[in-house]
Amino acid sequence: MSIRFEEVCKSFGPKTILNQVSFEVPKGEILFILGKSGVGKSVTLKHIVGMLKPQSGRVWVDGSDVGAQDAIGITAIRRKCGMVFQQPALLDSLTVLENVAFGLKTPQAKQVFGTLSESEIRKTVVEKLALVNLEDDILHRRPPEISYGMQKRVSLARTLAPGPQYLLFDEPTTGLDPITTNTVNDLIFDLSRKLQVTSIVVSHDMGCALKIADRILVLDQARVLSLASVEETRRSQVPLIRDFLRETLESENRGHA
Amino acid sequence: MTLVAVFQDSIGLFLRMFRLALHRPWRWKDIFQHIVQNGIGSLPIIAISTAFSGIVVTNEIAYHMDQALHTTSMIPGFSAQFILRELGIAVPALLLVSKVGASITAEIGGMKITEQIDALKLLGINPVSYLVFPRWIASIFSTIALTLVAITVTMACAILIAITRFNFSFLEYINTLRHFVGTNDLLCAITKSAVFGAVTPIISCAYGFRCGGGAEGVGNATTQSVVTSTITIIFLDFVLTYLFTLFL
Amino acid sequence: MTGFLKEVGGLTLFYGRVIRTLLTTSGNITPVFGQITQVYFRSLGTVIASGIFVGAILALQFNLVLSQYDAQTLLGGLTTSACVREVGPLIISFLLAGKIGAYTAAELGTMRVTEQVDAIECLGTDSVQYLILPRFLAIVSGSVLLLVVGLLVSTVGALAVAHWLCGINPLQYLVSIPRFAGPGVFFAGLFKSFVYGVIVAGVACYKGYTASGGARGVGRAVTQAAIYTNLLIVIANFVTSSFLDSLREILKSLSGVSG
Repeated sequence: MSIRFEEVCKSFGPKTILNQVSFEVPKGEILFILGKSGVGKSVTLKHIVGMLKPQSGRVWVDGSDVGAQDAIGITAIRRKCGMVFQQPALLDSLTVLENVAFGLKTPQAKQVFGTLSESEIRKTVVEKLALVNLEDDILHRRPPEISYGMQKRVSLARTLAPGPQYLLFDEPTTGLDPITTNTVNDLIFDLSRKLQVTSIVVSHDMGCALKIADRILVLDQARVLSLASVEETRRSQVPLIRDFLRETLESENRGHA
Repeated sequence: MTLVAVFQDSIGLFLRMFRLALHRPWRWKDIFQHIVQNGIGSLPIIAISTAFSGIVVTNEIAYHMDQALHTTSMIPGFSAQFILRELGIAVPALLLVSKVGASITAEIGGMKITEQIDALKLLGINPVSYLVFPRWIASIFSTIALTLVAITVTMACAILIAITRFNFSFLEYINTLRHFVGTNDLLCAITKSAVFGAVTPIISCAYGFRCGGGAEGVGNATTQSVVTSTITIIFLDFVLTYLFTLFL
Repeated sequence: MTGFLKEVGGLTLFYGRVIRTLLTTSGNITPVFGQITQVYFRSLGTVIASGIFVGAILALQFNLVLSQYDAQTLLGGLTTSACVREVGPLIISFLLAGKIGAYTAAELGTMRVTEQVDAIECLGTDSVQYLILPRFLAIVSGSVLLLVVGLLVSTVGALAVAHWLCGINPLQYLVSIPRFAGPGVFFAGLFKSFVYGVIVAGVACYKGYTASGGARGVGRAVTQAAIYTNLLIVIANFVTSSFLDSLREILKSLSGVSG
């Protein structure tokens, strides 16, 4: 039960984004993927859910090769993987209730859960909203009517609703204020532990990574620069990682001063 | 209602335009730039569209003439009249609305929501004389020019079809045509296109200046401006056509 | 040029995907009706306003020509026939492209750049079936339905002009309509409306669905959709006219043989 990359290569036109990237995420782990902007972090995530296919190499999710799946296989993999996007990506025409329930009403969900009654769906939705610290008073509001931080949390609840085994976060805290950032980080940590899911978080925030990750993978120039535990990363002498660490330390010091 | 407000704004803008036209300077450089960007930029699509419509309308007229009068001898006169009085003017005007009108609203609306218009005001520059006037003059000139191009292309295609499909000779076509159309028709065409060219940028700018509510607001304003301009042009087309029938 | 060919290829594949989804879909089609009513009511006012004046303009122009031949009795038939076969479908598709087409491209484009489309895919729903299909069917059927409305109001406009400005007896006007505008003519008009609707819907959905690059990218998608739609419609006008012409010729020769 794991996600495994085997020498994955991907390029867009002349630009190589991933060059022989290999790593494995065992069950229950929180892995942070760090790197500068445009280094292929989001591209890595999109390979897991089959939105992109590797040019060479393989991506394995629970022992099935993502690149070799047909439409049905891809749907099965996507059911296991909950993806949280950088933006809330809620459907504006639907209420919060309908948004969170979206993944419970698809044909595949019906195969797994059976056809749920409206009250069962509502119950699940309220449950998931509670997981992300939201009350049920926003159920019938539409996304533009609630704050951005709330939208992010509703988006997380929507991802949780079909009960994924893997959570993939694409820069979950980019563009958020420090307080909301903390809330979201705590949520990622709590949910991963509470629901026993495997999480992969794409970020450029070393501070968050040090706080909640089990291991940290640093991507640079389309290759894996380092894959190590938090403690090892903290002691790393690689210049780029030192730069990331210094940035974090400085902001922490500023915070204390 | 926005529609009423937009028409009020448009009339206000019109009056300003006439007043500005009497003043110097005219900012020829800006005007020239807009003519190149919007006028010449629209040349290919207008040439292609009117070429096809010339072919189709000749076929249609031939079909109708055949049904109505059981003769195709009237094709030159009928098609020339229709092209010169209606088709050659309305098609480019409507195309320009959806291309140039939409881009003007999007441009000005974008400036409005990113507070560039306010910045202009603070710098002591009048947005109307700076932004609207050059576009207005450029639009009038390029609409007239493009209409003349459109008429030429449409006529050329109509003649081509008449020769190849209905066995007219070129001279025969021109001779028949001369009985039906004259300088009057050309003057009408120029007047109409000048009016259409003057209306589109004004309505588009009025919508642009009224923009609010982020990128979505600009999108809505653009859609509405295209629709309002289209209907206004169709309405003015009717009024002008009627006025011309009184004098022709 | 390669950019243009790429667009043509992309659009063709997109049509293929929509048609495949249409044929294989098992989902419920209730959202389609919602979309249809939306398209219909959003454009109704516009179509009525422009329809009246289009009818009026055509009546004025045709009257001018017909009076030279003393054939004003034919005005009703000619105006209606021109409206149904040619001008009506064109004007309605231009209006639909400007209003609904632009709206759809902007809506889908925004959903694409804010990752809503990706979210739908990741939750295990086919985004073409969920987002594109209802909009596509709504625009196509809206285009055909609106032609009928446009035709009625344009007749009213033309009739008013014929009566008050050209001095033609309304009854005479109405009587001459069936002489030119038979079932074949209506079929031709509806067929054209259908084809133009497919173009408006396909281009708007395609440009919106494949938008990229933030709000600016959405704006670009919307303007490009408008230009491509107009261009494709005039070309389609030529193609469908020629096609219908040959169809008429074939039918004529067939009936000639049998009769």
